[in-house]
Amino acid sequence: METVPKSTVSDVIITFIKENFIRGRSQTEISPDESLIDSRIIDSTGILELVMFLEEKYNIKIEDEELIPENLDTINNLTKFLAGKGIR
Amino acid sequence: MKYCTSCVLSEKFPGISFNEDGVCNYCTSGLVADHDKKIEYLKEFEKLLDEKRGKGSYDVIMAYSGGKDSTYTMMLLAQRYNLKVLAWTLDNGFLSPQALINITHMTDKAGATCMIVRPPFGVMKSAFRKAAEVDFYSPKTLDRASSICTTCIGVVKSMILRTAIEMNIPLVAYGWSPGQAPISSAIMQTSARMQVFTNKSVRDPLLEKEPAMAQYFLTENDLKADKDRWPINIHPLAFFEYNEEDIIKKISEYGWAKPSDTDSNSTNCLLNALANHLHKKKFGFHPYAWEIAGIVRSGSMPREEGIEKITQEEDPAMVKYGAEKIGFKL
Repeated sequence: METVPKSTVSDVIITFIKENFIRGRSQTEISPDESLIDSRIIDSTGILELVMFLEEKYNIKIEDEELIPENLDTINNLTKFLAGKGIR
Repeated sequence: MKYCTSCVLSEKFPGISFNEDGVCNYCTSGLVADHDKKIEYLKEFEKLLDEKRGKGSYDVIMAYSGGKDSTYTMMLLAQRYNLKVLAWTLDNGFLSPQALINITHMTDKAGATCMIVRPPFGVMKSAFRKAAEVDFYSPKTLDRASSICTTCIGVVKSMILRTAIEMNIPLVAYGWSPGQAPISSAIMQTSARMQVFTNKSVRDPLLEKEPAMAQYFLTENDLKADKDRWPINIHPLAFFEYNEEDIIKKISEYGWAKPSDTDSNSTNCLLNALANHLHKKKFGFHPYAWEIAGIVRSGSMPREEGIEKITQEEDPAMVKYGAEKIGFKL
């Protein structure tokens, strides 16, 4: 099990989202409980890009049944979901 | 205007930066699929077709616009791979007459069943006008396509998926060019779970503005369809050699003819000129820039040709036609 400080996982996700979806636009910050889709930061293609990034970054597999907003739609949901997979 | 020295993205493209050689960060971030990757996908694709072929009344439902890329893809699936094709077309009220001739002629040539679906024009007109007036999709979505095109393709994808599920067709094919969609999505299982995200990002913003469009999108009830009925999306042009000139030459041999009344970036739709014009006016970059940059990066189009495509002004008469038809004041 890879153990890194929780804030670092959150930082990694935020950095990826900022670099790929926010950079060069008017919105610059993401609140940890903000819905990434409802706030139009990310679209369904972006969810797939995020999933591929996380799988590669942490050498994990995200199964089809795990592709749900409760796991992926906010920074807090994402860090909690990854913690459940041993990424802390 | 400054452009990447390697692709066609301009300084106006969101998130862009240039290195000391003038090459943009999108070019340097490894977006091009190498030859080995394409071979890997081709093998997986052919194995998939062997598994799915001949199991039902149709092997594949083809999102068929009558344009060059979807025509080429349909012929590939029908003739090279001997699949039973249901060619599905959305008549959004802006099909070029030549595109309609191409659709009926080329589906005959392919031996494909042709299904044309036409929602009432009043509903499409209203949806397109609202998409023209306000951008209600994610900014990242609008990097890849205009609001008007996103609205139309949202309807296409949803209706085709629903048709595939209802008719138990195992494959859904798109004619996306290598620049339109990455190779990583070229063979992708659809699922109710992913559809939830698509509904949130495309369906819901559109229905807020135009509730009458609801019947064209998957409902919560549709999402309960049995897992085995959800098809696999394929877009084979991501891993076949792609050359626009060769594609047009090949399909012209079968009798396909390029429409003369569409925008230079479309071979089927009469609304494209307005869609492109509005997008450029709002955002400062061409909505096809991302796609064309991808095609240039893949080596399938010279950069100069790509620059010409995205800097060419739309025909004012075509822009005006589209605006008048949807009731949008320019």
